[in-house]
Amino acid sequence: MSKFRVFVSAAVALGLISPTAAYAAPTVDNTQEPASIRVAIRENNPNGEPDPRGRIVWVQSVPFYQYCEDVLPNEWMPSWHSESLKAGAMAIKMFAWYHHLHPITIDGFTFDVDNTTNFQTFRYLSRQPDTNRAVTSIRRYAYVKPNGEIIELNYRAGIPNDPNWQYRNAQKMAQWGSQYWAQRGRNYIQILQFYYQQRALRQVRA
Amino acid sequence: MKPQRHLFPSVARRITSACVIAAVLTPHITAQATTPSEPGQHSVPVQQPGTSSRDRLDPYAPWPTARLRVHVIDGRTLQPLPGAEVVLVETEQRLRTDANGYTPWFDAPVIRNPRFRPLVAELHGQLTVIAYKNGYRDSIHMGIRTHEGMDSEATVWMYKIGPEDRRIEPVLYQVPYHHLWLIELVDRFRRNSQLGEGWQDPNR
Repeated sequence: MSKFRVFVSAAVALGLISPTAAYAAPTVDNTQEPASIRVAIRENNPNGEPDPRGRIVWVQSVPFYQYCEDVLPNEWMPSWHSESLKAGAMAIKMFAWYHHLHPITIDGFTFDVDNTTNFQTFRYLSRQPDTNRAVTSIRRYAYVKPNGEIIELNYRAGIPNDPNWQYRNAQKMAQWGSQYWAQRGRNYIQILQFYYQQRALRQVRA
Repeated sequence: MKPQRHLFPSVARRITSACVIAAVLTPHITAQATTPSEPGQHSVPVQQPGTSSRDRLDPYAPWPTARLRVHVIDGRTLQPLPGAEVVLVETEQRLRTDANGYTPWFDAPVIRNPRFRPLVAELHGQLTVIAYKNGYRDSIHMGIRTHEGMDSEATVWMYKIGPEDRRIEPVLYQVPYHHLWLIELVDRFRRNSQLGEGWQDPNR
């Protein structure tokens, strides 16, 4: 046996080199739910609103579910139907989870998401009782590919009082569309199934 | 007497044929008359619920209300501030925070900005509160969102006055507009000949 082979087998035995270097997609089975998320806080514009093109001021570490609670009332309307809010809570959670697994670095700041519509609108401590209930109710579940792979659940505003079929074609949830279907008696799983095809509801590991 | 008996059906026949011609020539009017516009339609402004058209003209008609509570915290330490006085500017209600920094739940009016009412219905009401506490800067919190029949919470940050503070003035925090309403607003007035960024689109 050559010296090189001995060296490699020793390195594998010591755990210095992984014997299988194949890329494994992050799934709900091999990935822990994030405990916290890094939110880049962008500069406000002169009117005092967070500016999607503003400079990054600092990166705030927020507990994961607190982040979801502080996003939902700013993305969905808290007065909307509870099933629409649950569908929104699931989309916000899976969007954040995906970006937690794929952090980025801009201007020397490494973060998962920012506080503007570049990612999801986040206002610290803006959570509301009704939206908190929606986040709590979907807490044990994840909406992923059938093999468990965690993917980004995208959404856009959409058109009010309309099923928003064109958003289903684009595989994005329409926020107004989720309210449309909830008012017509669909539950949050049916709303998610309408907008995102070939996905599965999975239980999150405790 | 006999000619009169024949006259009536012939007049009726003429009126019916006139109606049919009118319906063919003016289909938009006929359609409007037969299918009333759906409530909550995109272009139709949503009225304040529980208020009839007569009530809306009456300055003494009560506003719809929703439950609200305010959480007052120290802006630096994020710890709750007990004993702060919170004033709801619109109704001059005064409340005091408990040991956890919360005011009791109270009924607050849901007031939508009248500037935009006839053009685009706002999706939520807005309120202003001021928080006072000894040793802290006064905090004004504008644009607190309220919805009819729904509980809402607002967090007010207060900043302690330190020895380095020379010019002591109130602190203002204004809640930004909800992005869904901003999209509604720009789509409402967009011309097809001047699209700007264009209509809301799933492919962007």
